[in-house]
Amino acid sequence: MRRTRPIVVGGISLAVSAVVFILPFLFIALQAVKSRSEASRLNFLLPKEWLLWDNLVAVVEARNYQLLLAYFNSTVITVFSVTILVVFSAMVGYVMQRRKSRWNSVVQGAVLIGLMMPPAVVPTIGLLQSIGLFKTMTGMVLIQVAYNLSFSTLLYRSFIGTIPRDLDEAAMIDGAKPWQIFVRVVMPLLKPVTVTNIVVQSIAIFNDFTNPLYYLPGKENVTVQLTLYNFQSMYTSQYNLLFMNILLVTIPPLIVFIFFNRQIVAGMTAGGVKG
Amino acid sequence: MFFLLPTATSFWYSLTRWDLMTAEFIGLENFHQFFSEPFLVQGLINTLIYAAMTSGLKTIFGLLLAVLLTSNLIARGFLRTVVFFPVLVSTIGIGITFTVMMHPTRGIINVALEAIGIDGPGWLTDPALALFSVALVDLWKGVGLATLIFIAGLAAISPDYYEASRIDGATRMQQFRRITLPLVQPATITVITLSLIGGLRSFDLIWAMTRGGPGFSSDVVASVIYKQYQAGFYGLSTAGNVILFGLIAVIMVPLTFMFNRREIEQ
Amino acid sequence: MSGVQLKDIRKSFGALEIIKGIDLDIQPGEFVVFVGPSGCGKSTLLRMIAGLEDVTSGVLNIGGKDVTYADPSKRGIAMVFQSYALYPHMTVAENIGFGLSLAGRPKVEIEAKVRAAAESLQLIHLLDRKPKALSGGQRQRVAIGRAIVRNPDVFLFDEPLSNLDASLRSQMRLEITDLHKKLGATMIYVTHDQVEAMTMADKIVVLKDGRVEQVGSPMDLYNKPATPFVASFIGSPKMNLYSGVAAEGLGCKTYGIRPEDLTLSFEKGRWNGRIRHVERLGADALVYLKVEGLGDMVARTLGGAKFQPGNIVWAEPDATKEHRFDL
Repeated sequence: MRRTRPIVVGGISLAVSAVVFILPFLFIALQAVKSRSEASRLNFLLPKEWLLWDNLVAVVEARNYQLLLAYFNSTVITVFSVTILVVFSAMVGYVMQRRKSRWNSVVQGAVLIGLMMPPAVVPTIGLLQSIGLFKTMTGMVLIQVAYNLSFSTLLYRSFIGTIPRDLDEAAMIDGAKPWQIFVRVVMPLLKPVTVTNIVVQSIAIFNDFTNPLYYLPGKENVTVQLTLYNFQSMYTSQYNLLFMNILLVTIPPLIVFIFFNRQIVAGMTAGGVKG
Repeated sequence: MFFLLPTATSFWYSLTRWDLMTAEFIGLENFHQFFSEPFLVQGLINTLIYAAMTSGLKTIFGLLLAVLLTSNLIARGFLRTVVFFPVLVSTIGIGITFTVMMHPTRGIINVALEAIGIDGPGWLTDPALALFSVALVDLWKGVGLATLIFIAGLAAISPDYYEASRIDGATRMQQFRRITLPLVQPATITVITLSLIGGLRSFDLIWAMTRGGPGFSSDVVASVIYKQYQAGFYGLSTAGNVILFGLIAVIMVPLTFMFNRREIEQ
Repeated sequence: MSGVQLKDIRKSFGALEIIKGIDLDIQPGEFVVFVGPSGCGKSTLLRMIAGLEDVTSGVLNIGGKDVTYADPSKRGIAMVFQSYALYPHMTVAENIGFGLSLAGRPKVEIEAKVRAAAESLQLIHLLDRKPKALSGGQRQRVAIGRAIVRNPDVFLFDEPLSNLDASLRSQMRLEITDLHKKLGATMIYVTHDQVEAMTMADKIVVLKDGRVEQVGSPMDLYNKPATPFVASFIGSPKMNLYSGVAAEGLGCKTYGIRPEDLTLSFEKGRWNGRIRHVERLGADALVYLKVEGLGDMVARTLGGAKFQPGNIVWAEPDATKEHRFDL
């Protein structure tokens, strides 16, 4: 009895979660390869003709290759934001963890507010406009950095807390200047949490919809999530293309996830537990 | 700078009639207007319902899934991956997919229900149901993160406690209630806090699925902010922002204090 | 070679003073051990000499120069940490050579010095390993190697052996003592283990509550402890100490007699007591007595002595080795 129970429970939960968590993805994939009329029936039947390539081409070509532009924009925003984020938050995290001063609690408070509170949209637009960065990629990058800095900083800070202070002190006695301690001793040790940070933030920024919606309107600056949103209203009768689009947007995080499973899990839990 | 400055100025602008160029001081007029429009108040109430429901469900299901996924069963690693994956996927993509699946007549869910003889409701078209349907999708998408946090919390509990309690004669149920629940509390607090904040701020899923409709039945503060912004009522939109800010502060600050105190007492 | 002078060194954290004015004169080439219970301030004092903690007031000289406010790297010191503090991402060679590379020395010179240090510590075959692939004793040697290549005037050791097991510890004790003889450098060594203090030190500094309790050679401290605290801290098993009415009867506030300075017999002695327990260590045995009107007493006897629990025996102190304290 005791032996079979795990298998039975496992089997049932496997089946249930398969239905609940996998079917929607299967649904997306299926619709994406069907013809227009078949997809409009929205069922789970296998397609009569597999139109993977045709649908792919149709989606990519739609609206004057808007999707390619969106991919380019999203990638640029993600790469720049994440680079700045990592450099910045590693330094802030290091200073917060190692230097105890009166400013610490102020910074700490700011980080927590940043983590909890919704940003004030319209004043931010006003600010961006007044410095000429509204509707620009630069502005978007700055926004992503500002909004995600809290999370990254916390991630770094808690990790730096696990690096023994003795190492800093040993380096100090070895004659390292503060920036040398950071660059030559601390930074190399931050590699695991840096990978985590890059992966988690890339996915978050790539998937972000709300902020581009507010701060990056206009055709020439579309991001991947915005195209998806636009296509939703455009393709109400062409579900095959709509789902092909969803499929394309879903793939990058899936690939990242397959490669960096461990780092993502570590980052999410660490950030979650500390936050 | 890009965060704190606008937040501070928002308090001022929320008191003005504002078109980005000129701001005319009108005192609490925006707030008055906000609270006198029934659909805006409805949005406020919806926000609370939505946040409470998603965070409650995520906590319960997250814990159950975590217990299941830390027990000895086959395909554990695979299941963890499967449960977690929706967390990483585009919210908009998920929203559209479920909108289609929840279609009242052709949607796969109702077709399946019909097959076993149940007349499925209009998940997103029935005003009484729309908000709950979206919350269910939110649960589907977010439960993976809760599960993950609970798994980490469960892993931190020393197996010694379970062995000791087994020698003391505890049943599985008693072990869960008297050992697992109290010892996993830090993770529970994290999950509740995170999902409450997420629920209160929630925008993209609701926007992708219902745009706040039908009518204003699934509007939340965040979607109201966007609608007012689109319509050019910047002052009103910013007032919504300040209200959301206040709402989160009012809920989260006492909650955090309470949680901290309980943690210290232990 | 440099001496170290501390003049009225103090350290406070807020209102809490933890180093309460320490004067100390360490001669060039001396091996000095700071010893005391945890929380006595010995590590803090060492870290102040290293420059890792700010000095609240007082003057610190190393080699005749005032270094009270100097940068740690400018004091001519090297330090071995309790945790060894090896850089986990660097190989043994890189760990040892890190200080030299920071100073911008040419590669050839670094390599030569690292090899020389590694050779003297039998680390040559480990130079390409990372710290996590080393045993405790090997890590300890790397930490010492890192100190040696800096060619410092003063070595500082912060409880360096506390993470090693007993046999390794006695071996490393010898190695550090050898190193001291070979280099002739000044060494300051912090420990809470009185055995380390007794076996290694030229001079022991006993600290208590941020003050110097007594300074002297190991045998000075053993033979003439200035206070009951020093008496109880140095020597194993502990000195028998009695205070209150019993001590007043013996003409002092606190009376002490070491277990090895007591003679037990069935015939005669100053005190009469019942044996509760006998620990036979081989060469000698520890006899635990209950003495009426005095309390518990431990005596060291020959291992073959025929004392048994329950026996009533007499204990006679060696009159030249009694300790009477007015504290």
